[in-house]
Amino acid sequence: MLALAAGGLLWLCLGLVTRWSAALATGVVFLGAEQAVRLAAGPGTVDAWTPAYAACLLFSTELAWWSVEPRVASWWEPAVVISRIAAIVGMCAAAAVVAALVVLAAGAPLRGGIGLELVGVAAAFAALAVVAGLARVRVG
Amino acid sequence: MKRTATPKLGAYAALTGVGLVAALVLGRPELVALAAPFAVVLLFGLSLERTPNVDVFLDLLGAERALQGETVEAELELRSDRDAGHVQVLVDLPNGLVAESPNPQLLRLEANVRRTVELAIHCRDWGGYLPGRFVLREQDAFGLLVHETAIERREPLKVYPRAEELRRLLRPVETRAFAGTQVPRARGEGIEFADLRPFVAGDRVRRINWRATARRGEPWVTETHPDRNSDVVIFIDTFLEARSEDEGTLDRAVGAAASLVEHYLGEKDRVGFVAFGGVTNWLTASSGIVQVYRILDSLLDAEIFMSYAWKDIDLIPVRALPPHALVIALSPLLDERAVRSLLDLRARGYDLTVIEVSPVPFASPGRSELDRLAYRLWLLRREALRSRYLRLGVPVVEWRDDVSLQVALEEVRRFKRHARVARV
Repeated sequence: MLALAAGGLLWLCLGLVTRWSAALATGVVFLGAEQAVRLAAGPGTVDAWTPAYAACLLFSTELAWWSVEPRVASWWEPAVVISRIAAIVGMCAAAAVVAALVVLAAGAPLRGGIGLELVGVAAAFAALAVVAGLARVRVG
Repeated sequence: MKRTATPKLGAYAALTGVGLVAALVLGRPELVALAAPFAVVLLFGLSLERTPNVDVFLDLLGAERALQGETVEAELELRSDRDAGHVQVLVDLPNGLVAESPNPQLLRLEANVRRTVELAIHCRDWGGYLPGRFVLREQDAFGLLVHETAIERREPLKVYPRAEELRRLLRPVETRAFAGTQVPRARGEGIEFADLRPFVAGDRVRRINWRATARRGEPWVTETHPDRNSDVVIFIDTFLEARSEDEGTLDRAVGAAASLVEHYLGEKDRVGFVAFGGVTNWLTASSGIVQVYRILDSLLDAEIFMSYAWKDIDLIPVRALPPHALVIALSPLLDERAVRSLLDLRARGYDLTVIEVSPVPFASPGRSELDRLAYRLWLLRREALRSRYLRLGVPVVEWRDDVSLQVALEEVRRFKRHARVARV
């Protein structure tokens, strides 16, 4: 776990220094993997701290991407920064709520089975398909 | 507007995918909770995204003309049809104009609210410009998509070369019959004292010099020089120039021409202009403030246009070179065609002065022995060319960048004081 966390920080630092998006994404994946290992090694119950961790992960990811955004030496007005900070804080709060909903759903006393597994797989792929479709439509 | 995805879009999609797949593989729903925020950002970011319609104008606040070195205050007017929280606006200024205000600027635009931003433009070089090309870059609130566009709302801006202060101008050998501020050698009605002579029949009584008359015991009169003007033609060689990054011989020649034009026209002389080179341009001699702007506008068009065609002075209309005009040539003396044309002008009897805008500071001697030898030979050839002009009675002065134009003019005056008529 320590190695994964250190690797994640190292990739994040590398991405920030070299302004390399792929390194940032790798760093976030490492941090997520560290969380996955922690959960796998822990008890079988749903972790109640996951929403906070999810919000913090998104917060650090947003800040990292803000840092490597292409920018020139330009004058900026305070309103731009304030609105950006507000957007990030809002996103993280929404992320915590969404993650809490997921955790609540995961903790619901439902009986598992192959059917529910298939629904989960379909939902995951549907979510990815929706994102990919939206991106394709918007970017053209 | 051209829409492109930022690297963040791809990365968030990848993180979502990795999280969901890992949750399925490991059977841990918490990983879905970790991936869900990234998916939500993507879903909201892409769903709420709307392409803004941002328009921008440049207002030079009436400053269509400026002097080299001045700063023009301008205003940018921006308007968007929807809220745009992250708009980068870059004013793409032509080479020669420099933004003193921060450029680009990062702004926030509210929907249908006109936003005004001040912009100070420093006019570094003379010339005719059309500023007003903008590059707009708008990023959505989630940082997933970027809209970029270039808008052209060009406004003309003329930057005239700054005239140097001149105390004394070159005087032509011949003057015209019209009133001006020059004192010819001839005698006539005027106020400048010329000589005393005995009174003859027909002399006006008011011309009697009473002090001389009392001393000599017979009437003597005062003779005066009339006040005349003259024709001056500013001749610029635009065949070739020597140039460094930010300055060249043509820039210096145009600056000097602007100074001479303003001062000669200020003294009521008639001034004409000839730009002789790849593209030949001329203005017939005239006087007045309108002629100042005519010539300054022509100076803005002066540029080096590469041409191998042989050109001589016959290309220039006779009207552009009035007889007995003082022709002040500003040339780096680099092109044989210009050198020959100037000699031709002298052979036709024009009162010619050559101010050689020295190209030497723009050339380096080189590193190798051969380069240095070639450099010395080039300097010797230039010296020989100047001697050739001087032998023909043409004052030629090397004007370097470390001395003012007045110094060069004074050298010409000194030469003319001791010059003798030469037969060409």
